[in-house]
Amino acid sequence: MYRRLRLCSNRGGYEAIAEPAHPIDLVGAKARFEAVGIPVIDARVMLIAHLDSEVTISRAGRLLFKTQDPRLAERTFERLRSILELPAMEDAPSAGPASG
Amino acid sequence: MARGVMLMSGGIDSPVALHYLLRQGHEMVAVHMDNRPFTDDSPLAKVVDHLAMLRDRYHQPIPLYLLPHGPTQITLMRSTDRHFGCVLCRRFMWRSAERIAVREGATFLATGEALGQVASQTLSNMRSATASVQLPIVRPLIGFDKQEIERVAKSIGTYAISTRPGVCCQAVPDKPATRSNLVQILKEEERVDVDTMIDDCVRKAVIL
Repeated sequence: MYRRLRLCSNRGGYEAIAEPAHPIDLVGAKARFEAVGIPVIDARVMLIAHLDSEVTISRAGRLLFKTQDPRLAERTFERLRSILELPAMEDAPSAGPASG
Repeated sequence: MARGVMLMSGGIDSPVALHYLLRQGHEMVAVHMDNRPFTDDSPLAKVVDHLAMLRDRYHQPIPLYLLPHGPTQITLMRSTDRHFGCVLCRRFMWRSAERIAVREGATFLATGEALGQVASQTLSNMRSATASVQLPIVRPLIGFDKQEIERVAKSIGTYAISTRPGVCCQAVPDKPATRSNLVQILKEEERVDVDTMIDDCVRKAVIL
């Protein structure tokens, strides 16, 4: 499962980390991106893909979304999840007690 | 006074180092290594704003060369041992900056490095990195600690720019080597076409 998105240390983007770790096969991931026409830069140890926001994907499964908009980062994650069959992200804490 | 080339990263240290050199009366040229797509636009934006402030303060034009470093990073990541990524990256930066120095008639290179702050700034790694160039390298902040640098950055007004949000450079390896020797580094460089990579980078430089 991916932990909820959090701002990266320099506050310029959002990162998502899987617990337990979910290594990603970058060769296979690149092929999937190319099959659906998504531009991707292959730096062997990471991929940089241009989806709704630009996202860096590491072999260890860490995702970095280059946007300060959390909703854009979430949308990009969901799209990435469907392309790469990634684990889901943990649910947000509930806003309050359930009614009824 | 002399003419020098300053490597500007957008971080806290480099504008402080530049400030000291300008204050001494040296004529300075700035070089920013553009690490996109491994970072976002923020480092360049910070460098531009740092220079605007220092140009105004010291009444110097300080031309800014923007060099595309992303393609170099991709080649290094694909072809060399990641542990030496920081040293290899810096060797390319130094050699590219030296080419600009020759073009600009500058007689020294400069950096905001202080000793031991990050992996690339251990003595061992500095030695490996700077063995790639002939021009002398000046480090005005070599004996400063982080708090002192931050204090000066706040007093000259660059700290607020440097600490704006931005994406950390993703090209930094997870476990960078803190020690290296030249034999190891040269062996890694044999895996890539160093001269062509530097030629390409410098040829595509843009002056802002």
